[in-house]
Amino acid sequence: MTDSLITSSPKPLLIVGDAEAAACEGDFCAIPDHHEQAVVNRALDSDLV
Amino acid sequence: MSEVIKVDIWSDVQCPWCYIGKRKFEAGAELFDGEVEVEYHSFELSPDTPVEYEGTPVQYLSERKGMPVAQVEEMLERVTGIAKAVGLDYDYDHVHQTNTVISHELIHFAKSKGRQLEMKERLLKAYFVNGEHVGRIPDLVAIAVELGYDEAEVTEALESHRFLADVKADVALAQEYGIQGVPFFVIDGKYGVSGAQEAEAFANVLAQVKSERETV
Repeated sequence: MTDSLITSSPKPLLIVGDAEAAACEGDFCAIPDHHEQAVVNRALDSDLV
Repeated sequence: MSEVIKVDIWSDVQCPWCYIGKRKFEAGAELFDGEVEVEYHSFELSPDTPVEYEGTPVQYLSERKGMPVAQVEEMLERVTGIAKAVGLDYDYDHVHQTNTVISHELIHFAKSKGRQLEMKERLLKAYFVNGEHVGRIPDLVAIAVELGYDEAEVTEALESHRFLADVKADVALAQEYGIQGVPFFVIDGKYGVSGAQEAEAFANVLAQVKSERETV
């Protein structure tokens, strides 16, 4: 569960979860490839494809 | 020790992953067997964007990132599809790219009235779904009045920028934490979760916090 520590913070956080999860930095919002696959998988599970 | 787990969320009103991540977090909190208290914090992704930006989000991204228009259109189409999967109908054809600092001031105004979560949801919907402008004071006042706030009071709050210091304090705290992107979730002041994670990921962290409290 533990991946890394943010050490610049006065209250260091334990960073957990998927390090590749979709987020926006600056004015750019990247789309991780696995995120799209997850959407396709859900559609398959729901018999939408 | 209180059983309620505090979750602090940094987010911007014009961040597509923030609205998607909000829905995923809410689903994760539903999966979690316990009580969660959420507080939103301001984060400005593009503080240099003018309020009256005349172009579309496609033009904005294309100009800023030097990406071909077709590539940006494809990217937004993919984001729209992902949003749809969590029940959100993004309408990029009618989105008004703008500066969101005053919308953050309005969220802090609502927080001062104990109604922050309602305003946060309303402004995300305004931007991504309804095609409303979330940068201009008159448009933001109209949204606040629709929610039942006093028009004169909210106008004064936004025109005087009474809550700007609170917005900047949130941004400064994000920098102290080392937060570079949003959405970003600080759970129980201890765990940091970045991005629009799956619901199960949020539920797992909440369960971890609960478990740690029970073993203390």
